[in-house]
Amino acid sequence: MPTALAALEEAYARRAAPRPPASPASSEGLAGTRTPVVGYVGADMPVELLTAAGVSAFRLTGDPESGSALGDRYLGRGVDPMARSVLTRLLDGAFGDLDHVVVSHDCEASLRLFYALRELRRVEPGTRLPEVYLVDILHLPHRTTARYNRRRIGEFAARLEAWTGRPLDLAGAVAAHDERRRLLAAVAELRRAVPARLTGRQFLAVADPGLPVDEHIALLERLLAEAGRLEEHTGRRVFLSGSDHDTPHVYEAVESEGYVIVGEDHSFGGPQPDRPVGAGGLDALAEHYHHSGPTAHRATAGERAAHAARAVRQCRAEVFVAYSRIADEAPAWDFPAQRAALDVPAVLLERQEYGRADLTALRKEHPCAV
Amino acid sequence: MRSVKSLATAAEAGRHQREWFADLRRRVADGEPFALLNADVPHEIFRTMDIPYAVSQWWASLVAAKQRSGHYLELVRQRGYPDYSEQYNAVTLGSAFDPEPEAGPWGGLPKPDIIVGDATGDVTRKVFDIWGHEPGVTFYPLESAAENEVPVNWWELMPHRWEQAVGPARLDLLTAELENLVRFLETTTGRRFSESRFREVMALVNEQEEWNRKTRDLIARTRPAPLGVVDSIPSVMLPQWHRGTEWARDIAKRFYEEVRERVDTGQAACPDERARLMWIGRGLWYDMGFYQRFQDEYGAVFVWSMYLAIAADGYIRYGDDPMRALAARFAAFTDQLYTPPWSSEWYVKEARLHGIDGVVHLVSDDPRGSYFTARALEAAGFPVIEIHADNVDARTFGDEVVERVGRWLENVVLA
Repeated sequence: MPTALAALEEAYARRAAPRPPASPASSEGLAGTRTPVVGYVGADMPVELLTAAGVSAFRLTGDPESGSALGDRYLGRGVDPMARSVLTRLLDGAFGDLDHVVVSHDCEASLRLFYALRELRRVEPGTRLPEVYLVDILHLPHRTTARYNRRRIGEFAARLEAWTGRPLDLAGAVAAHDERRRLLAAVAELRRAVPARLTGRQFLAVADPGLPVDEHIALLERLLAEAGRLEEHTGRRVFLSGSDHDTPHVYEAVESEGYVIVGEDHSFGGPQPDRPVGAGGLDALAEHYHHSGPTAHRATAGERAAHAARAVRQCRAEVFVAYSRIADEAPAWDFPAQRAALDVPAVLLERQEYGRADLTALRKEHPCAV
Repeated sequence: MRSVKSLATAAEAGRHQREWFADLRRRVADGEPFALLNADVPHEIFRTMDIPYAVSQWWASLVAAKQRSGHYLELVRQRGYPDYSEQYNAVTLGSAFDPEPEAGPWGGLPKPDIIVGDATGDVTRKVFDIWGHEPGVTFYPLESAAENEVPVNWWELMPHRWEQAVGPARLDLLTAELENLVRFLETTTGRRFSESRFREVMALVNEQEEWNRKTRDLIARTRPAPLGVVDSIPSVMLPQWHRGTEWARDIAKRFYEEVRERVDTGQAACPDERARLMWIGRGLWYDMGFYQRFQDEYGAVFVWSMYLAIAADGYIRYGDDPMRALAARFAAFTDQLYTPPWSSEWYVKEARLHGIDGVVHLVSDDPRGSYFTARALEAAGFPVIEIHADNVDARTFGDEVVERVGRWLENVVLA
């Protein structure tokens, strides 16, 4: 039997691959109907609702190696190449037979992706794209926004019930996702240990293996039980800030030079506060996602700087690296305030290509003895 | 190449703008509160409360026209921020960092007390929030919400059926944000908000834009075109920044009458007009001569830009609840110009209305939906050429663009 870490890394390697046909619904459900398969995009997706609906759901990711010609065409080269790659893969059928795509408004690239999918279905039906739905969660810290989010969360819940033909099990789903949050927070401590017991690359796999939440929970419990057998990683400790990383390419590039990434603030790692949703139904869920983050695209530079200072101390990071991908410029605006708030060296890697890390600036400022 | 303007209303608008700005500087020097507003936020509230304000994009266009955008972007870069991102607002932010602000255009932009901008995109809110950390400056952000499903024919629905076009969720949100904005302004400036004055302002805006609609329709049906966009842009946009005033309403009327007179007397931007061109995108502020460059050699006239057209179709809102009507003016404003199907179908409608022969589409690096615009126009039979540049950052404008457009005119539009 492989270790839990190996199982998680294996799942991570095949996530977002074409799914096998979903099993028929249980006898309590609509007999003979297929469980809807939902691909979702964006950090603000209330995944508890997807679980509560009983759909088969997974986050869509790009691939820097497979080209993005169709995405470039439809979205334009001013949009984050991660979104262009996701659109390309959708059009290529790389995610298998999806029934729905759900997009959150976590960043401009996701919103543009939603608009492109909506319009392609309208004007080029030959692309045979699935139905697309937007969950418009916003983030200004005001009651007006909170009320709007609650309305949108409610609309999404109703839409899911219409898709599946059955009521949501929200309490059970929230409890499961809260348990996963609790376990992931415990696993994150393994990486924060000195020396780190997980690399950043490994943590990406642990955090987002693309498994159903119950399977993920079981593997996280096993991983914690096996923690004593994990290797020690003594490289120079890096906190990675900025653009999302839906693939391990940049992590591998940084860690191949003798660094170990012990924390990050993007949505494929661990930017979310560890607090649970708890009880409270849709109201609590709306509040949870209203206050999620702080992500580069929706938080202010001041919020990002304060978070960076806390996180760097918590991770005992020795170097702060801000990564800003070309056409994903928000992180570059955060950097001056982040640098000023930190008491460790800070480097900005700006205008980086998707899936690449030009480490010249990092090597120059902070040579790492391998 | 310098642009040549010929309309009396354009000259008057330019003169008024200089006098207004000088007066604004005096008012601010006397201690009145000063607000800097992004173009797509409801200026009407500030008009109602008589709070002096300037528009971020107007200032950026002035800086670019004076060939000074590089200077302000350098100031942004010196603070450690990117100089290649959201330049339209970053240029204006650079004003806040200028050690010699009085050396700026027209004596320089006064230091604002209040900034209002919407959270469109990933960077706009950050730019203004950074400015809001300057001493004495408060940033009031507005949300930028989105909708799942929209009716395509927004230009038919907006004047009276805007609830159907925009949708109640976005309208409830922005209406509430605007009610809070009024309270914030009352508290921080001591000014009062008069409901009757607000209704007057809203009525004046509708009157102004109705005149712009008549002007747009007149230009659309007249061959050869009575004027090009170099004349229409100042005649519509400078009053736009003063909307809700009698001056703006009246000059919109005189703009129509002046165009009407040109039509009646057979005056034309290019008497030997061979092609009517559409410009999609923001104004190329650092090279307004671009738009007249192709008239003499090719008889090609830019008869359309979004500025008059969006004034005609994008602003008019009638209804009994003025705050909700104001929210309806701006809750989906960006979508009208940049989000398919609204943007793409509207451009096709306008191209047909104006008898367009070719479309020049300025595509900047910020994420806008250019493919669907070009696709819709080409599917409707309008040839499109895309040029890639930022409209205030002259560093991005390639030397080859003019030559490329010339070849396209010869080989495609006039072939």
